[in-house]
Amino acid sequence: MTPFFKRYKLALFLAFKSIIKGNHWTLALIIAVMAFSFVNLIFTSSIISGVMATLDQQMIDTMFANIVLSPEENEYYIEKVDELLPKLEQLDGVAAVSAHLNSTAFIEYRWKEKLSQADRGKSGTWSVIGIDPNNEINVTSIHEHLVEGQYLDNNDRDQVLLGVEVAGGSRSQTPDFLNLGGVHAGDKVRLTFENGIMREYTVKGIFCAREMQRADHLAFITRKEMASVFNRQVFYDRATQILVRTADGRGEGSIIPAIKGTGFKGEVRGWDEYAGAQHAVIGTFGVIGSVIGAVGLIVATIVMFIIIYINVLNKKRQIGILRAVGIPRDAIVGSYLIQALSFAGAGIVLGFCLINFVVHPVLAAFPIDLPIGPLNLKVEMGRMVISAFALLIASLMAGLVPAVTVMRENITRTIWGV
Amino acid sequence: MIHTSNLHKTYGHGSGAVHALKGVELQIETGEFVAVMGRSGSGKSTLLRILGLLDEPTQGDIYVDGINIARLPERKKAKFRLNKFGFVFQEHSLVSELTVLENVYLPAICSSHNNEYIEYARELLEVVGLTDRLQHYPGEISGGEQQRVAIARSIVNKPKILFADEPTASLDEESSHIVLDLFSRLNRDMGQTIIMVTHEPEDRKYVDRVIYLRNGAVDLGGAPLSPDLLN
Repeated sequence: MTPFFKRYKLALFLAFKSIIKGNHWTLALIIAVMAFSFVNLIFTSSIISGVMATLDQQMIDTMFANIVLSPEENEYYIEKVDELLPKLEQLDGVAAVSAHLNSTAFIEYRWKEKLSQADRGKSGTWSVIGIDPNNEINVTSIHEHLVEGQYLDNNDRDQVLLGVEVAGGSRSQTPDFLNLGGVHAGDKVRLTFENGIMREYTVKGIFCAREMQRADHLAFITRKEMASVFNRQVFYDRATQILVRTADGRGEGSIIPAIKGTGFKGEVRGWDEYAGAQHAVIGTFGVIGSVIGAVGLIVATIVMFIIIYINVLNKKRQIGILRAVGIPRDAIVGSYLIQALSFAGAGIVLGFCLINFVVHPVLAAFPIDLPIGPLNLKVEMGRMVISAFALLIASLMAGLVPAVTVMRENITRTIWGV
Repeated sequence: MIHTSNLHKTYGHGSGAVHALKGVELQIETGEFVAVMGRSGSGKSTLLRILGLLDEPTQGDIYVDGINIARLPERKKAKFRLNKFGFVFQEHSLVSELTVLENVYLPAICSSHNNEYIEYARELLEVVGLTDRLQHYPGEISGGEQQRVAIARSIVNKPKILFADEPTASLDEESSHIVLDLFSRLNRDMGQTIIMVTHEPEDRKYVDRVIYLRNGAVDLGGAPLSPDLLN
């Protein structure tokens, strides 16, 4: 056995005995501090990852599905939709498709109560999307978020579905002057489209997808109705966008080339290409999370340093005696490093168990109800590995510094204090 | 075998400086059992710690078998302490988390080439009369027994010189006799060189020679202890 391994064996022996024979309450406290430091490092980033995952899923479920087909550059519409949709549905990995015919409209509520032409009353301009409801329910989840009334049918002509931020009322997050001020299912609203056509509709339902930025600010009518607004003869076979829902587990990356392979001339993009601004905002939270994580790591390091320093100080005389009888310096320092790493390792394992077997299941069963929707933790293994590694490095430093400091003292001062 | 040359030790600086050793010159031969005696503050413990490489002299040299150990780097000093020296302190010098047996073989883990040190540690504990205490922890045995464990530990690496700093100071009379008898046996039967600091006059009967220190200098040393002095 080489001298190095002899010293390593001795360090291991001293560390093991110190841990086994040390005060068990102190040991439990140290490991608990390490575990909660680890949980703290993971929890903040997992919350932010959870918010990102929730917002991403909301965009997929309510706005874009997985893939969005748009017209060619310089074109406003996708033509021959009725031919294209069956082709898309037959592609491997495609679960469902739905065509959208989009417009904007000036929407008024209680317009008869207006005092004059200049009185805006309860009105505003919002995007209105023409959908095929039977297809749409397989592509987006708006139909699952009705808070009043019913979803549209394919043959509805004078019915409109309003987002809660259009309808207003107590469920709305926006102030009353930015919405219709409290429309309910069954009420009448008047829509004036961008081509000047004005029609009255009955509110068939109100939905609250909790996608406050965009989805809840939309209104839906049937695509047939939208085509009739523009010119049924021309628009019955046109769409502004086609949304494609992929089968479970199929990534967009493998299906986009297949869609292009059908001869479709327009643009084909994954949903995430539409999420740039949102991702920038969330990325900011990510940076804040990293800063919080760094502060947490510093606090954990200081706590570990204090605990290990007190531990070393308590054993200062013993360290002096070990040095006096000739135990090599690196075996003594090594024993404290091994102890520090053991504390951190045990803390990380306990923290890992707390996150995966307590915090995560509890939050999955009782999600935090945020305005954007139910929030789950999204625990990323990569983040866990990085945090564990950071904690181990921090504990190594916290163990090394006090041990080396004591080792530099004169032996007689260490033992007798003189 | 061991001799010092103009050994000085000063604590502090300027007008507050304390001169603990003032040019100590001594020589101790292999196999001698030497007592270092003197009044409190005469520099006995300081001399022992410096000879044992636990502290550094302010000036002077210490030769062991011709090697000036006072000039060795710290790593080599540690190796010297491990392989060539043994120490018995006044009190509480055992590692509380280790059993009696583990305490004894601890210094041998690094210096031995195989695992026979455990068996040798058992033998030493038999020599000091503690075979029934092998798996006890220091807190579970008496002060006298702790000192006997410390003596066993001090010789586990078969050192050239054994240093003992008032090893009986915290013991009762019976335990003191057991410990001093043990030193005598080690010296007589195994030829162990022992340098022991003590201020108990009756301890003189156990040793070959006494080195007296007065105000940091050797007052009487090197001469065999005469029957007159013993009386």
